[in-house]
Amino acid sequence: MHCKELESVLEAKGLAQLSKDARLHLATCGACQGLIADFNSITAAANSLPAEVNPPDRIWISLRAQLEAEGLIKEPVEVSEKTSWWESFGAAWKPRTFAAVTAAALVLAAAVYVKRVPQNGVSDVAKKQTPVEISRPAQTQVAAVPPVTTLPAIAAPSQGSVPSKTKELAPSPSESASFTLNQAELEVPNMQLAGNSQVDAALRQNLRTLNAFIAECELRLKQNPQDELAREYLYTAYQQKADLLAAMMESGRGEN
Amino acid sequence: MTEAEAIRLAQAGNAAAFEFLYRLHGRRVYALCLRMVGNPADAEDLMQEAFLQLFRKIGTFRGESAFSTWLHRMTVNVVLMRLRKKSLPTDSLEETLEPDAENSAPKRDVGAPDLRLTGAVDRVNLERCIEKLPPGYRTVFVLHDVQGYEHNEIADIMGCSVGNSKSQLHKARTRLRELLQEELRQQAREERKAAKSPTGSLD
Repeated sequence: MHCKELESVLEAKGLAQLSKDARLHLATCGACQGLIADFNSITAAANSLPAEVNPPDRIWISLRAQLEAEGLIKEPVEVSEKTSWWESFGAAWKPRTFAAVTAAALVLAAAVYVKRVPQNGVSDVAKKQTPVEISRPAQTQVAAVPPVTTLPAIAAPSQGSVPSKTKELAPSPSESASFTLNQAELEVPNMQLAGNSQVDAALRQNLRTLNAFIAECELRLKQNPQDELAREYLYTAYQQKADLLAAMMESGRGEN
Repeated sequence: MTEAEAIRLAQAGNAAAFEFLYRLHGRRVYALCLRMVGNPADAEDLMQEAFLQLFRKIGTFRGESAFSTWLHRMTVNVVLMRLRKKSLPTDSLEETLEPDAENSAPKRDVGAPDLRLTGAVDRVNLERCIEKLPPGYRTVFVLHDVQGYEHNEIADIMGCSVGNSKSQLHKARTRLRELLQEELRQQAREERKAAKSPTGSLD
């Protein structure tokens, strides 16, 4: 056997399956020994490279937003189709539902606040709210009654009442939004969710991921208030958190 | 939740199932993308695109092949498509060593001294040289030697024969060997240059 033939054998069968002829040639050929030794070095070094790398959390957050936007995520609708409108209306005033709806509205209001401030009152929120409203039609209908009175209280500082020169003295948009979110989130641990169910575990994990992401965005915005990308990410995260908190509260209502 | 349950739930649009599948396979897919394109920003983009395509088509998954194989096939397609679009530079070292096409055998640099790589291949060198491989070689090499897939799985992922996968791997290793040897020669040249320079002789 010659060097070229050995290489053909290597190409067809790999390093592990050398025939007797190939091994005989290898024993007497320094060049082929070098080739095999180098291949082994390369393979060993390649094996030491990590086969798995943790992706940044923002990929999932962004992916999930995209899946929701495309309607690929279809959350189960909990309200039965047979329920009459007055029963739905009555159920809306049960404390947990009310809390869920209020939390969603509060957080959405905070998100609106964050979105509007850097753009000097020019709002593009109306169209961006649509996915939330579409994904939870039953809640949105109910939400229309109580949160109207709460919205101005939260949104008031953003309605141009704070002059731009004194803006730095007022709480920053992200601080206000954080406060609103935290208030809404306080309700969640008080509930007894299914706890051991995988859905609840996933919801809690999502909340942790979102909180970490929000903290990262807030920090970035604190360091650079002009960072529009961070503001956009933060806005999306607020919307997702509103959704998530509402889902968690609904889950608590279902279990209790 | 098992993978099969998650697939069934994801086919019905369950968000938790989508996330389960993402968490189960995301790290491997990200590593593959990262190794293929060499920079995190592009890798993130490609990973998101691959999962998005996967979830869009998850309703059509019937389990004929393993789910991870299906996902990797989609990832490889997305990555190769991007590389073709961007036509990233694959090599700039020595035109004479560049294979005409991925299907032709790389030329041997017969006149050059046969440098042994034993003990000289570190991760940094290797990663740098992997990035210089043509995309087809790179894919097979990363899937087999880094991620540990077997040739039959790679054939499924790449849509080629097992023999083709073996051949591509051999060519990838041969090409890597040449690139690594060239790196060693370059290092040796720089060391000699430094030794000849006045500051080098003073040291």
